[in-house]
Amino acid sequence: MKLTNTRPDQHGLIRRIGGDAHFAKRITSIGITEGTEFQTVRNDRKMPVLIYLRETLIAVNRADAERIEVEKV
Amino acid sequence: MNTRIALLGQPNSGKSTVYNALTGSRQHVGNWPGKTVEKNDGFYTYKGTKYTVTDLPGSYGLSGNSDEEIITADFIRSGQADLVCILVDASQLERSMYMAAEFAPLGKPAVLLLNMMDVAKAQKKEIDCKLLEQRLGIPVLPFTAADSKGYGELKELFARELETPHTLKSVPETVDGGTSAEAVLAQSQAKFLWIENTLKGVTHTASPEYRLSGFDRVATSPIKGKFLCLGVVLAAFLVAMIICVPIMSVAQMIPQLLYEPVSTLLNGWNVHPWLVSVFAMMLPNVLYFTLSMAAFVLGVNLAFGFLEEIGFLARAAYQFDGILSRLGLQGKAICPVLMGFGCTIGGACGTRVMDNWGQRMLAMAVVWAVPCGAIWGVIPVISAMFFGPVGTLLVCVLILCYMALMMWIVSKVFGRTLAPYETRSGMIMELPPYHKAHWRHILKEAILKAWDIFKRALGTVTLVSLVFYIFSFSGSGNIQNSLLYRVGTAIEPVTRFFGLGWQTFMAFLSSAFAKEAVLGVLNAAFVGQSSLLEATFFSKTAVQDNAALAVNMVRTISKPEALAFLFACTFNVPCVMALSTTYRESHSLKWTARVALFYVGGALILACIVYHIAALFL
Repeated sequence: MKLTNTRPDQHGLIRRIGGDAHFAKRITSIGITEGTEFQTVRNDRKMPVLIYLRETLIAVNRADAERIEVEKV
Repeated sequence: MNTRIALLGQPNSGKSTVYNALTGSRQHVGNWPGKTVEKNDGFYTYKGTKYTVTDLPGSYGLSGNSDEEIITADFIRSGQADLVCILVDASQLERSMYMAAEFAPLGKPAVLLLNMMDVAKAQKKEIDCKLLEQRLGIPVLPFTAADSKGYGELKELFARELETPHTLKSVPETVDGGTSAEAVLAQSQAKFLWIENTLKGVTHTASPEYRLSGFDRVATSPIKGKFLCLGVVLAAFLVAMIICVPIMSVAQMIPQLLYEPVSTLLNGWNVHPWLVSVFAMMLPNVLYFTLSMAAFVLGVNLAFGFLEEIGFLARAAYQFDGILSRLGLQGKAICPVLMGFGCTIGGACGTRVMDNWGQRMLAMAVVWAVPCGAIWGVIPVISAMFFGPVGTLLVCVLILCYMALMMWIVSKVFGRTLAPYETRSGMIMELPPYHKAHWRHILKEAILKAWDIFKRALGTVTLVSLVFYIFSFSGSGNIQNSLLYRVGTAIEPVTRFFGLGWQTFMAFLSSAFAKEAVLGVLNAAFVGQSSLLEATFFSKTAVQDNAALAVNMVRTISKPEALAFLFACTFNVPCVMALSTTYRESHSLKWTARVALFYVGGALILACIVYHIAALFL
């Protein structure tokens, strides 16, 4: 499922990162890579998704979060 | 002898703290050649040798397309640094090692500074530095940037490594495949694999369940959070004012205290009256203005430096990024925009929280449209003379509506160049954990910035004041002998087209000097009790007889002209102090001038439109 469809306190694994090379660079530089564990902290309508990944709290805007496929663990 | 050190690290790694602690006031700020990214160089002396430190721009990696990353990568490759000090965050070791992973293939001498050990310790994280040192092949120094005790050891380490440098002995696997998204993903995977292998056994982190702190739960909630952030930003602004108002009040006394003695002295020496006023009125005023600017910079840097240091601003950016991105601005711009309501100088200083120059300049250009406190003190007063209390309320509402429109127009006009669409990506941002503010660092930086702006602004403010002085000086003290009057009446046919007579046009021009000068100039023009010079330079302390002014103005000025005048003054360039602060904060005369011309032109066009529309109804 998409990152934007996860629920708070759900743990997951990043499955697939879509988008172009520019996006791939931005998202992976901050640590969001395929196969990484994460926890969704907040997911409110019209707000960036807040996730906890590699011990960092990260905000990802919704448009970009739509391009990230994850799976529940 | 090799003595050039470069600091490399991701944002929030504490790089600026280390840089400031090492170099103190011995810093130089410029620009990287051909780019608008700030270049920070400084030096320190240790055991008789001078070491230069370059603070490389903070970025997450080295291979991206942003100016910051290109500059950093080029600089390192060029070998202009004899030693690179890589800063990583000990409390977020895995993620922050990514910079080291990108640096490794470049093969340059380095040391690893394991910063924020205090945070890691508080989180009960143990790090085996010796093992990490073995794996990397370069020295690893556990560090807490705010703790001044560690710097002796750091400088000793630098001195040693510059003599006998080490380079990273292991490097991430290079994955070829070009520049496609798949290739980029594969390259990043390889880097994180390297990080994982390097860190095996170095640190154990239990995978904790992350819980938002109580404060964060409110700060990140969609509605409550916005109010909280607005409240905090306004509170910070109040604190900034509390710090700077006493200084400004003292500074305000300078023109008043110096006027009598200096003019008496100079008149006694038979100095030409023109020069007497320069030294008795203009220069003390310049001193007052620049001290006020410095006081502002001090207050704003203290209050907002604190908010940034503890990590709050990231939450504010999170809240307002959606709204502000419509103006091409990042979420952090909420700070300068809110401060603009209190004072445009504060708004201009507040842009220091933004990440890059383009954003800062665009934010300043947008903030100029926000009517400042001085405007709210002057415009409703004049408006009440013509339109009564209800009409004035309507005028204020219209002003706020136009403000929103103006901000949008400015962002459209200048946004394309200052924040090009390609660089406008959605927010992908770290919200750092809250941590204690390091007051010595905040205080030191605030004082340095205030002193710096004081020195630089003296020149700018003197120059602009001189221009206004030349125009408003009148040998007889009578307004008709001033250059401004002569020019004003001569071009009246032109100003009438914009809906302004010579009196209101003069007052409009004076609003570029200080908003309070508007009332003074109107007084000089209609009541004739003070000279134009006094009106402009003593505007902040002048005592007005508003009743007499009201009677005279209503008699001479039509309602459409009054309305056009009110709008023109509100949306004119901000006062000379704000203008100078913008120039100093942006380091760009070109852009400050462009935005200034846009605002003056915009104000006149607005006046014209308002006049002609109002003439149909009023």
